[in-house]
Amino acid sequence: MNRNNLFSIFQFVLLLFLQSFLLNNINLFGFINPNLYLLFFVVYRFDNNPTLLIFLGFLMGLLLDLLTLGSGAHTIASLTIAFIRPVIIRTSFGINYDIPMGMIEGTQPTQRLVYLLLMITIHHLLLYSIIYLSLDSVLIIFKNTLFTSFFTFIMIYVSLGLFRGK
Amino acid sequence: MRQLINALLEYKNTLLYIGLLFLSIIFLNQRSFYHQSVFSNLSLSISSRMNFFNDGIYNYFNLVKINQQLSAENEKLKVLELAQYEGMELKTEVFESFSFKVTKARIIKNSYNKTRNYIIIDKGEADGVKTDMGVITNDGIIGVINQTTEDFSSVLSLLHRDLKINASFRKNGAYGSLSWQSNHPKKMKLDDISTLNPVFIGDTIVTGGMSDYFPYGIPIGKISKVERPEYEGYYDIEVELFGNLTQKEFVYIIENKNLDQIKKLDRDESQ
Repeated sequence: MNRNNLFSIFQFVLLLFLQSFLLNNINLFGFINPNLYLLFFVVYRFDNNPTLLIFLGFLMGLLLDLLTLGSGAHTIASLTIAFIRPVIIRTSFGINYDIPMGMIEGTQPTQRLVYLLLMITIHHLLLYSIIYLSLDSVLIIFKNTLFTSFFTFIMIYVSLGLFRGK
Repeated sequence: MRQLINALLEYKNTLLYIGLLFLSIIFLNQRSFYHQSVFSNLSLSISSRMNFFNDGIYNYFNLVKINQQLSAENEKLKVLELAQYEGMELKTEVFESFSFKVTKARIIKNSYNKTRNYIIIDKGEADGVKTDMGVITNDGIIGVINQTTEDFSSVLSLLHRDLKINASFRKNGAYGSLSWQSNHPKKMKLDDISTLNPVFIGDTIVTGGMSDYFPYGIPIGKISKVERPEYEGYYDIEVELFGNLTQKEFVYIIENKNLDQIKKLDRDESQ
């Protein structure tokens, strides 16, 4: 149990509670709740065990759904994002994919931006597709994905600044 | 064995993902009514398509028997038609005032060995079938439409524990509710008949007009056993069905054209 693991556990719990008790009650313009808990999947060290991340993704979504009385969409969305994260990393960072803290230091800013946008958009698209689950609601799915992704992106970008300052 | 373990280890992430995904879909299905209905609709549409294929093959070998049944029914209808010619002139008027519309359909899946049985038929929303329509056959009733997709519908069978049908005596109109006790597929139970009414073995039971699903007077069955409990005001009645629900092929869906009006009145009253 080294320092990194302790920090990860702390991060997991903090983000979970922040998300379920504070951020899910924002309802900006009536429907926007930024999903800051994605930060956990974004900054998870690239060289840590991916199997563990899949399990943690499931756990995070499940606890979130249980705490907020959600339908179960967060579980599937965060599980899936944890599973396809290696693919997203390889797509966005190319040959630099093995830098452990790639999201914070040692890579091109453009690559980081692509990575962040891909993670957020795919997650939200999945989340809202599962929530609405009907072809008739395609427009509302895209609208929700676009706006919520935008605000989530801002929050995650600001939070990443905190890591860098350390 | 070693290779198998190696292969499992290689794909462990994918396997873990699929397992957890499966769990989360069950979780989703448990928690949300909307998703539950989407999933059950999807499974209905898949299973009905598969059964449709099976049934096509099976039917081909039964064409002779089906033809015989149909011609027997035609004969019966012909007799009715001739009887109408006999002494009546208001035929068109009768048809216009008749508030039920009839559509033909074929059963493609039928179960009768469970506690709650469903039937799948080959008509769906595209043919104007909606939920809560009644389904009958040439010698009795079959059930009530429960769920519909584009081309198929599932029917809550008469052999479903939770379905109760309003039924009455042909001779005097005393009515009660008919339900299945999940025993024999030809035996039903008739409740709520007051001991004030005379009841004998062999009396004919027909649909009561008080149900929204069926018109008055479709024959259902005859009484096969009757008991009178000593300290209760109601009979214990067992009804034997005329039709055999385990070997039906063609059914008729009946739509109550006045259902909207009846439902509206019902709502107004309950407010």
